[in-house]
Amino acid sequence: MTAPAVHTTAPSPWRDPVILLALPAVIYLLVVYAYPLLWLLMKSFIGPAGPTLQPYISFMSDPFNWRVVGNTLRVAAWVTLFCFLIGYPAAFALARAGALVQIVMLVSIILPLSIGAVVKAFAWQIVLRRDGVVSQLLVGLGVWDDPQRLLFTETGLVLGAANIFLPFMILPIYSVVKLIDPRLSEAGATLGATPFYSFAHVTLPLTLPGIVSGVAFVFSMSVSMFVIPSLLIGDRFQTLATLTGRSFLLMRNEQLGSTTAVILLTLAVAIVVGSTWLARRLGGST
Amino acid sequence: MGSRNGAVERAVAQSFLDVSAAEKSFGSATVLGGVDLQVAAGEFVSLLGPSGCGKTTLLRIVAGLLAADRGTIRLDGEDISSKPPHRRDVGVVFQNYALFPHLTVAENVAFGLKARKRAATDIDRTVRQFLELVHLTDFADRSVRALSGGQQQRVAVARALAVRPKLLLLDEPFSALDRKLRETMQIELRRLLRELGTTAVFVTHDQDEALTMSDRIAVMYRGAIEHLATPEEIYRRPATAFALEFVGLSSRLAGTVVANEGSTVTVETAFGPLRAPGNFVTGASVLLAVRPERIRVNAPGDYALVARLRDAVFQGSKIQLHFETDGRDQLMVETADLTDGVPAPGTEMKLGWAVPDTLIYPATA
Repeated sequence: MTAPAVHTTAPSPWRDPVILLALPAVIYLLVVYAYPLLWLLMKSFIGPAGPTLQPYISFMSDPFNWRVVGNTLRVAAWVTLFCFLIGYPAAFALARAGALVQIVMLVSIILPLSIGAVVKAFAWQIVLRRDGVVSQLLVGLGVWDDPQRLLFTETGLVLGAANIFLPFMILPIYSVVKLIDPRLSEAGATLGATPFYSFAHVTLPLTLPGIVSGVAFVFSMSVSMFVIPSLLIGDRFQTLATLTGRSFLLMRNEQLGSTTAVILLTLAVAIVVGSTWLARRLGGST
Repeated sequence: MGSRNGAVERAVAQSFLDVSAAEKSFGSATVLGGVDLQVAAGEFVSLLGPSGCGKTTLLRIVAGLLAADRGTIRLDGEDISSKPPHRRDVGVVFQNYALFPHLTVAENVAFGLKARKRAATDIDRTVRQFLELVHLTDFADRSVRALSGGQQQRVAVARALAVRPKLLLLDEPFSALDRKLRETMQIELRRLLRELGTTAVFVTHDQDEALTMSDRIAVMYRGAIEHLATPEEIYRRPATAFALEFVGLSSRLAGTVVANEGSTVTVETAFGPLRAPGNFVTGASVLLAVRPERIRVNAPGDYALVARLRDAVFQGSKIQLHFETDGRDQLMVETADLTDGVPAPGTEMKLGWAVPDTLIYPATA
């Protein structure tokens, strides 16, 4: 009797054959990704004389490492904020645009994803140079007296990284905005709500799920970016990701590398999960 | 007759809502071509017409959700033409209700009160009062997503009325409900608005809805109001051939004026010469119409014509008789006289009606 029975109660996930469709992906990820990753991360907990927390203690006791953690979180926070500030309105424009404009905008958002971070980072090197477009523009506008170099500065890094991660902020917000009935703002207005009140009490709470996923995407990508800081700011500025990379590639210190990797992973997961939880709570109480 | 004209005159003299010469085009398409509409305080006026006639556009212009190209809108003596919607004091019940999906029933009703910064105790009391008025007290804390269509519609009405707007606009609020529920809701809404003394403009394409609910009906066609009058007047004396066709059933015969007797004309039709009250020049192409229940079967009238029965539809309290015509004409009769039973198709019958019951319009090409 292998024919699926009619469900009289909620189907158990183990009985529902649809769940089996995920099996190839699950096996693939477990074998070639999760297992090696776990094995690598475990290295940070195993010293010459068995299990140890020594790598973490020595990591914490070095003020340089705290600066690295600070760099990582600060840059990721700026990138996420910047992406949100320019991505949120863009997502509305995209969702409310006419069919043709929408296609053009979507293509121009998605197509650059195929270019790759290395090429884009090199392009930003040109833009951020002392004689680059940004510098010339700001001097021309009279904001700056003399041409300045943004390349190899934190501002330059944030600008470049935000450009590369922007689609991951726009797309999830766009997908939520598209589902919001434009009549809701009109209903708010006819009830006497100012545009700002309607935005704060209707639009913002309804777009919160999109904001949460956009923020989670961009933040976790910016906290772990490696190529972009390497090309846009260089070795003087270390983040957890670049430190991890250096530990494995240059210093051949697998234990330090896996320690920083575990710290990076923990921080990223904690912040993404925490902000999701916070947003759900805020959204639920509006 | 006198009281009806009186109502109309009062509406014009002390109009609470006064739309004058409202025009709107989208690109090269004119959606509203200079519409005037006056509504008295406490009145219920329906905008009735087929889709694309401009009725929803007019409603959105009054609400301030759409800017008119030309024209002014006055409400309660004040020119609101250039005010944003949130400062107009005009409530709207949307066709799809547009309830806030993230809020409960009570929070939806409270929304406008909170936006207007009323005191919390005042808000609580008002919300409870309006939930009671629409019989949703027990649903106060439910999510609006968990409600049936009829319940959602009531939340939308309570939400719009809770702020006590000067004017309530309703955009086909019953179109998503099934027929039986719709009739109950129509009666309930009418009673509620009367109790609160709310002035309302109601958009619909459903003539029965307009006839049962309205103090006056504005029949709209191609961006213009064809006829604005009481339901009775619209039915008895539709001002234009379109109003005639859109509201109620009618027999319609095309013809040519052959004689003008001053206050009546004689029209040559496929069924012979017929007389109608009116003043048309000889030779003019006209359309004659009679409401089907005004036609008597096999009874003496001012004149009679003979027609062959095509089919008879038994409808319980009445029978609808359709007669053979030459294509463009339509000849139908409704009779409640069922003593002889349903006649067989092919029967020749004598039909007659009173000349004053005949409606006459210039023929449209």
